[in-house]
Amino acid sequence: MTNSVQRIRALSLQIMLIAGLLAIWQWAAVTFPGPTLPPLLAVWRSYWRLVQGDLLHTAVLPSLYRLLIGFLIAAVGGALIGLAIGCSRSLDAWSRPVLEYLRYIPAIAILPPALLILGPTDTMRIFVIAFGCIFPVLLAAIDGAKRVEPTFLDTARVNGLGAIARIRRVVLFAAMPSLFAGLRIALGLGLIMMVISELIAADNGIGFFILRSQRLFQSAGVYAGVLVIGTIGWLLTAGLLLVERRVLHWHRGWRGLPVD
Amino acid sequence: MIAETDGAILTVDNISRSYPGAPVPILDGLTFRQKRGEFVAIVGPSGCGKTTLLRCCAALMQPDAGSVLHAGQILSDPPPWLSIVFQDYNRSLFPWLSVKQNVGFGLAHVGKHERDERVAAALRAVRLDHAAELYPWQLSGGMQQRCALARSIVVRPKLLLLDEPFASVDAQTRFDLQDLVMEICRDMSLSTLLVTHDMEEAVFMADKVVVLSTKPARVVDEVAINIPYPRDQLATKETPEFLRLRHQVYTLVRQQIRH
Repeated sequence: MTNSVQRIRALSLQIMLIAGLLAIWQWAAVTFPGPTLPPLLAVWRSYWRLVQGDLLHTAVLPSLYRLLIGFLIAAVGGALIGLAIGCSRSLDAWSRPVLEYLRYIPAIAILPPALLILGPTDTMRIFVIAFGCIFPVLLAAIDGAKRVEPTFLDTARVNGLGAIARIRRVVLFAAMPSLFAGLRIALGLGLIMMVISELIAADNGIGFFILRSQRLFQSAGVYAGVLVIGTIGWLLTAGLLLVERRVLHWHRGWRGLPVD
Repeated sequence: MIAETDGAILTVDNISRSYPGAPVPILDGLTFRQKRGEFVAIVGPSGCGKTTLLRCCAALMQPDAGSVLHAGQILSDPPPWLSIVFQDYNRSLFPWLSVKQNVGFGLAHVGKHERDERVAAALRAVRLDHAAELYPWQLSGGMQQRCALARSIVVRPKLLLLDEPFASVDAQTRFDLQDLVMEICRDMSLSTLLVTHDMEEAVFMADKVVVLSTKPARVVDEVAINIPYPRDQLATKETPEFLRLRHQVYTLVRQQIRH
């Protein structure tokens, strides 16, 4: 009983905060009319065009497509390479200097050379997104693979599993909690790289839409674009968490936490 | 057929093993033999290197000097006819697999139909058939160890290694598991190597008790246990013969601790 009362209270406070922020915005827009801060309704109209109307296909979907492809490449590639490195001491020693160097290059800095080599193409943008995403996944996979319970590996060896089978049937699963932590970070970075890659030599995508709106002094479009990015980030993270809960349902139980 | 000179399933011949950086070797010139079908228990003071010895006996680790022969051969990997039950079931049963999938883990090369049958039979043998669909972490410690036992016998091993398998469960469960293991080992005519710090358990279960010294571990003595099977938790443990042997093993181990 008290539990549900608390929940209703928390929910109403959350709603009040959002409503309060919107009210301040609207008040400021009405009190100081001008191009810097458009009224809520104008932003909403632009937002709706982005998620529902004509702009969906030229702004939102191209961005989403590139983000998802780049993220998937980074997730699969980072996991495979990372698990292999984490399982092999010689591979680890051999690749460490290169990885330690590459991981400190900000993904943004890779944009000009990527543009130089690949041109203003989808491939270039996907590459930049994948580059931004891959390091958290790679490092999480290496770390996860190194911290697999030694008894799991002994059990696998006693059951006749070779190196590849051990990675596929044991290390991959045991490292999954660590991998998902890496994927969550990667998704945030991917979102950043998605927007940035569309600010240079682009003709579609949300980043391009925001930039164009700003140049045309369509401030409602600028704000709507930013809000759409927030929405995409929120939805994708929720989706990832949902997948994580399904894949890692055993992990909570194993750690002695309540399973829902 | 495998070349066998003396019918031993396991020959540990003068093995030594050190860890890098450690001043004292952990195993030093350790020798014993296990005949086919024999139940051997290894006891020694805690921290004397029993687990290192077991890993060498499993071919999971190679000794620095000396040799371990599995049915007459030096192996670099565990043979398919060897299986292990580890002490810490929480770290050896895969938490992402159900009980059934855990038990069938080593049968990936076997067809699904046969695998299901063998898994079901192994689960029946350890009386865990009612929990096949659950996850290991949903079971009690004793049930998890029975699951680990089922996983190790489902591959039809000839040699079963037990690394302090009853150390993490309560006393009553320990007795039940001891009885179950002895029953299964006899039914399957397994050669069993039990590593334990529990001297009473060693005398109660084994044909032969190998007593180790403190670090570096050597064989101090071997005690033959000529008590007929089946052995009973109460009746056997009250016989003068059992008490005498327990006294003998206990004294040997205690001398090691004093040294």
